[in-house]
Amino acid sequence: MSKYLDLEITEIHELLKTKKITPIDLVDECFERIEKNKDLNAFITLNKEAAYQKARQLEQEEIKGMLYGLPIAIKDNIITKDLRTTAASKMLENFIPIYDADVIEKINKNQMIIIGKANMDEFAMGSSNQTSYFKPCKNPWNKALVPGGSSGGSAAIVSSRITPFALGSDTGGSIRQPSSFCGIVGLKPTYGRVSRYGLIAFASSLDQIGPMTRNVYENALLLNIICGKSKNDLTSFETNEDFTRLIGKDISKMKIAIPKFYVNDAIDQEIKDKLETVIKLLEKAGCSIDYIDIKYIDKAVTLYQIIAMGEASSNLARFDGIRYGYRYDHPKNINDLYLKTRRYGFGNEVKRRIMIGSYLLSGKNATTYYNKALEIRDDMRNSFLEVFNEYDLIIGPTTTTKAYPLGKDLDDAVKAFMDDILTIPVNMAGLPGLNLPIGFSNDHLPIGMQIIGSCFQEAKIYQLASFIEKSLNLDLNPNKGDKNE
Amino acid sequence: MKDRLTREEVLHVADLARIEITEEELEEYQLKLKDLLDQVEKINEINDHDSNNLIAPWQNNAEYRQDIEEEMLDPKEVLKNVPAKSGNYIEVPVVINE
Repeated sequence: MSKYLDLEITEIHELLKTKKITPIDLVDECFERIEKNKDLNAFITLNKEAAYQKARQLEQEEIKGMLYGLPIAIKDNIITKDLRTTAASKMLENFIPIYDADVIEKINKNQMIIIGKANMDEFAMGSSNQTSYFKPCKNPWNKALVPGGSSGGSAAIVSSRITPFALGSDTGGSIRQPSSFCGIVGLKPTYGRVSRYGLIAFASSLDQIGPMTRNVYENALLLNIICGKSKNDLTSFETNEDFTRLIGKDISKMKIAIPKFYVNDAIDQEIKDKLETVIKLLEKAGCSIDYIDIKYIDKAVTLYQIIAMGEASSNLARFDGIRYGYRYDHPKNINDLYLKTRRYGFGNEVKRRIMIGSYLLSGKNATTYYNKALEIRDDMRNSFLEVFNEYDLIIGPTTTTKAYPLGKDLDDAVKAFMDDILTIPVNMAGLPGLNLPIGFSNDHLPIGMQIIGSCFQEAKIYQLASFIEKSLNLDLNPNKGDKNE
Repeated sequence: MKDRLTREEVLHVADLARIEITEEELEEYQLKLKDLLDQVEKINEINDHDSNNLIAPWQNNAEYRQDIEEEMLDPKEVLKNVPAKSGNYIEVPVVINE
């Protein structure tokens, strides 16, 4: 069996360029690996026929860039023309989009091959992939554990080396937390960096699509092609830059801050120990490190719940059984149609969030809760920006724990939010944040750290991340020694 | 502090959300929604923030686009995902109360 998909992207590219292999060889290998890893339940829908068609078509095309012919998995809340997109919900079980999301157009234009749609928490609501209508995805490092969420399928696919690239989306940690649990690199870009057009909305003021990859360089490559202004998303912007440009550059003068909240008692000692190792490494390299305070960071989860659930209730009001998606069969009248379509179409986690969100936005509550949360969020954001006046980057752990067993705390109304206490503040402030694997627990599960930059500073994040990645030189392939050999 | 929401409170939020709930679910929601609301109520612990902040859901400078008419989606395509249709119309149940 071939092992091209274990090679670095630069090596695969060279093989493609010199015509030693063709994109079809890569697609073949992808589907072999999907078959071998079936028990992960990482995909909701495969794109086999179209992937082969695209691979054949690419053989006739000129190579335009580094990502030519490379396979990618797409989180199933990003819409793909003529390819079923479910958001892991019964509500969209049979939904076939009639246009492509902006990011999908860019993926296609850059000659990548979409292999399939990745499992996730229903409507991205959850942090363990267990709210998926299509059953949970599993963690490639230990199949009794969750892969994290909501982009759990995307993380498991990249981690198990099925595809080198995946897209995820991050509203409160949904790229970074599963990346941490599965030992991959995942970036939530600056709010507006990537167009949200065609991303099934959860909380519009927080959602961002981002790259999930095996290493830092490949992450920057994927961000290079998915970013940019779109006329379909007025919050998006253009900067025209190469995100790989600072990779490998000197980091010795960097000033780094750690929020005191990011070393609190809720965080596993094992994780704090690994972070400490990195801190020592950075100090040795000449970086300065200070512990700082961020205003309201300990209240970020509360603010997030108000903003995210409020916006979700409004966004998910569109699922009414009328124009697309699931419709209840024999309603008595139109109101009965709404009530029953939403009762049977949505899962429990989603229903809870819609109910609370509707309540929070109803009547005077909108001022008491939603508007107040936005006001405080602004203060928190300003506090972050003040830190960045003095420091280059902020670091801390990504998660409070390593991956935990499937079934644990299932259906706990509050647990999913508590998983994200370290990632949520980044979305609240609209900042870019990256998960970087920094080691393993005693039972050999990946542990990740978070690198947070000021707005538009993704390149600087990659600069520091690539230094740490190179220094630690971890073996992050969970299949090592078996399966894909 | 009460440990659960009243039946009426749960029915009220379910009505706002347009989600039908069963008798069994109602009891469960009395507890679970209460847990969530307790979290949300913590916002009342904050009173020292700057309430003069101009609030906007996002901070980026959004530009307006030109108001130009353009072809977007073909009605035939749009109707592909409609659960029930008649010609170019979407079918819905009775809207007026009998």
